[in-house]
Amino acid sequence: MIDAARERIIDCDWHYQDSFKEVAAYMPEPWRTKYKHSNWDDAGVKQNLSSFFPTSTGDRQNYGKVVREHSNYPDEPEEPERVREGMDFLDIDVSLQISHLILAMGGVNADDKRVQAFTKGYVEYMLEEVLDPDDGVYGLAPMPYSDVEASLDILDRIEDEEAYVGACFVTAGASPPLGSRKYDPIYERCEDLDLPVVYHTGGSGLDEYVRAGYQEMIETHTLGFLESNMSQIVSVACQGIPEKYPDLDIVFMESGVTYIPGLISRLDEEYLKRPEEAPLLDTRPSEYITDFYFGTQPLEISARNELLELCFDMIGTDRLLYASDYPHWDFDSPSIINDLPMLDDDDRRAILAGNAEGVFGL
Amino acid sequence: MSDGLVEVGPATEFEDGDHAIVEVGRAEVGVVRADGEFYALRNQCPHDGGPVCKGIVQRELLGEFTGTGERVEQYYGEECIISCPWHGWSFELETGTHIGDERIQLPMYDVVVEDGIVYVDTGE
Ligand code: FES
Repeated sequence: MIDAARERIIDCDWHYQDSFKEVAAYMPEPWRTKYKHSNWDDAGVKQNLSSFFPTSTGDRQNYGKVVREHSNYPDEPEEPERVREGMDFLDIDVSLQISHLILAMGGVNADDKRVQAFTKGYVEYMLEEVLDPDDGVYGLAPMPYSDVEASLDILDRIEDEEAYVGACFVTAGASPPLGSRKYDPIYERCEDLDLPVVYHTGGSGLDEYVRAGYQEMIETHTLGFLESNMSQIVSVACQGIPEKYPDLDIVFMESGVTYIPGLISRLDEEYLKRPEEAPLLDTRPSEYITDFYFGTQPLEISARNELLELCFDMIGTDRLLYASDYPHWDFDSPSIINDLPMLDDDDRRAILAGNAEGVFGL
Repeated sequence: MSDGLVEVGPATEFEDGDHAIVEVGRAEVGVVRADGEFYALRNQCPHDGGPVCKGIVQRELLGEFTGTGERVEQYYGEECIISCPWHGWSFELETGTHIGDERIQLPMYDVVVEDGIVYVDTGE
């Protein structure tokens, strides 16, 4: 084991508990004014993306069981200094901040520009109030990808901002799925800018994940978070994004690791029977997917060691990125990685920091 | 079979896409005509043993990325492929290589046509 407190630790997925009210001040019109005069206030924060009536199966904090000492989540908007406090608590040197509120964007069906306005406001708000590369606090810029032009505007905006080290695509609710040629211009621009694309699963629509009627969050969170990532991995690989944009770094966040061997094995089986349906691929989809990077959280440490070892072997320890997901309910601390018996110290250092240094240029 | 040739039949009886099955030692071998050429392959699919040589022969469908935002252009290439009728694993007739993974190989045999008769040449 390494002494995590003395090593550099990079956390690739920290959720900044942003506030619609605070971000609204940075949104373009008319949403800046509309929001001010609305009754929404900080509703999205306090209800932590769910509420009793009617939008989610379960309370993320499990009805009072889960509390956070080093964050205002889930009761109040975060204060920027508390991010540093939480990082100190977890012995994290560098964190990549991902908007908490954007995770619900997949549930927006209205044909208006609120997602575009939010993402533009968020990018400015974070630059102004939160991100601080000198202090190890970096950000990923959320892409309102259903609007390609608005996404390109954001990429133009952050082009010279050292604080932003990647573009974030929330995988829940993307329609068409994210391998579609519709999104090509965003990928092309990210490749040009050498910005990794970070796909992050999300909980919007969990109650009706594929079908309505699930009762508990253990069901919808287990299935829905997985499905959102799996659907995009399959789409991105089969539609040949890695062949179209070979220098683009692709990262998938927040579904653990055990699903990947199962998914790629099944996909390869299909590919050998119908390869002409993925005509841009030169070989099995698994060969491309194991070139992607994967956030480790929530790592399935209760699984048998042989299974985890096999997963690490198939994905490659050079492709795994430590992620805490702090302050969310199922966060992982660095010791989750450090304690794994099947890793050697070089692997631990790679997963906890080295791989992220390479991908994000940190 | 003294000279290592196994007789298949008169070349004139084959149209493109036709196949015939012969025994070569203990192996079943399929002889297939495509684009006027004869090919011989083991009639045992590496996937699950299906009769691959009885499958459809056609040109390989390819795709090309022509530019950001464009639909992938699909067209039939020059290569002829044969597809196992059980689940569709497909092989180049020239090489016996699986079109999706070149590590998967169907054993090939030499074919000769002498005096209008097609033979599999076992090389023995
Ligand atoms: S046995 Fe030939 S494709 Fe399955």
